[in-house]
Amino acid sequence: MRSLPAVALIVLSAAARAGESPPAAAQQPGAGLRVYQAQCASCHGGKGEGAPEWQRPDKLGEMPAPPHDRDGHTWKHADGMLYGIVKNGWRDPFNKTQRLTMPAFGQRLAPAEMRAVIEYLKTLWTPEQRRFQEEESRRAPYPPEAR
Amino acid sequence: MNMQRTLMPWMRRLAGTLLLAGLLGAGSAAAGDGVVLAFDGAGGTLLRARGAALARSDDGGRHWTPMKLPAIPAAGRIASIAVAAAGQGGLYVAGPGIGVLRSDDGGRSWSARNEGLPGKHVTALASHAEQPDTVFAYVSGHGFFRSLDGGQRWQLMDAGPRGGIARFVHSNMPGSMQTGWFFAATGEGVRRSMDCFCGWRDAGELGRAATAIAYDPRQPQHVYAATDDGLFLSANGGEQWSRAGAPAAAVEALVVTPAGIVFAAADDGALFRSGDGAKTWERVGA
Repeated sequence: MRSLPAVALIVLSAAARAGESPPAAAQQPGAGLRVYQAQCASCHGGKGEGAPEWQRPDKLGEMPAPPHDRDGHTWKHADGMLYGIVKNGWRDPFNKTQRLTMPAFGQRLAPAEMRAVIEYLKTLWTPEQRRFQEEESRRAPYPPEAR
Repeated sequence: MNMQRTLMPWMRRLAGTLLLAGLLGAGSAAAGDGVVLAFDGAGGTLLRARGAALARSDDGGRHWTPMKLPAIPAAGRIASIAVAAAGQGGLYVAGPGIGVLRSDDGGRSWSARNEGLPGKHVTALASHAEQPDTVFAYVSGHGFFRSLDGGQRWQLMDAGPRGGIARFVHSNMPGSMQTGWFFAATGEGVRRSMDCFCGWRDAGELGRAATAIAYDPRQPQHVYAATDDGLFLSANGGEQWSRAGAPAAAVEALVVTPAGIVFAAADDGALFRSGDGAKTWERVGA
């Protein structure tokens, strides 16, 4: 996992510590992109294209990282669910190893950073997908810590 | 939001696949057309449909009482019966030529619930395992639709697995990113997806078409699949399958009660019961 550039980390962490509201932090131009490139791109691809052959288990019996762009299924998840997966990680119960399929970032990223990266992913979707995801998110919004 | 309208670009990209899926679904995965079973755990009522005839039994299938339905077109048939979760009383029947019908009074009256569906060619329907107002319908050639309000309004969610499906169930097996899982009987065996519709995958290697599917509500990892080569059981959510005992007749419909009793129906309407996880069977009402 690549590390977040020091400057970006300082800016984001300082904003979170200073009590700046997560939505404002999430709306900072480029904030989500910076988190994505530092923390997510190595597995999910620089443009959110996912790992090669992501729809089939790899040699270890683990599901590769899926795309986050319009060809993936990230847009089918509500904000609350995406936030939970980023924070707590998730293991595909049919993986042949015991490792998390998606690592947990709750100890590594501030709530504002996790929200920012999810907001960035939305820029990779079609307008129709964004509308669908917005409706899903009304039923499962971000948790209070990320609002 | 009208998902049919808003997802049109997505649908267009998949149009070829969908058309193929619909065609294949009608041909390769429709073996379980004749008999349908469901169980209303709240009332302890077994429900059975053959063609366009619906009946209920309050004594485990020994005696049946016909249930009245609205007029059904000559070509219409019941492909699915579903009971709303948590004993809320909603009862659905669905099928080609019928669309979706819902009753809230135990089957005395019915209302059509088709708003948002592309037509009445509903191949299969299943209720959410835990959410009383959530129900799913598969429309051949179009894909999976979801309703969050008891069928009042439907939204297109997914194209469904390749090859179409014959039957499916929604299960509360743990491990889903969302709220549960789908297991679908298809012409290529059993396929599985989380209920976020995040991709259909083969559930093990059954190696033959599945005509009926059910799971044990007490232990949702236990999944039963009927094929033309007998009945199979998976104890790990469809990863591996082993041959189960089977009634003498080919099984066209399966249901497992909240107490773990397995009922199987043959194409001639004969009903079988197993109280030991499909190891042994007895014919009911013979």
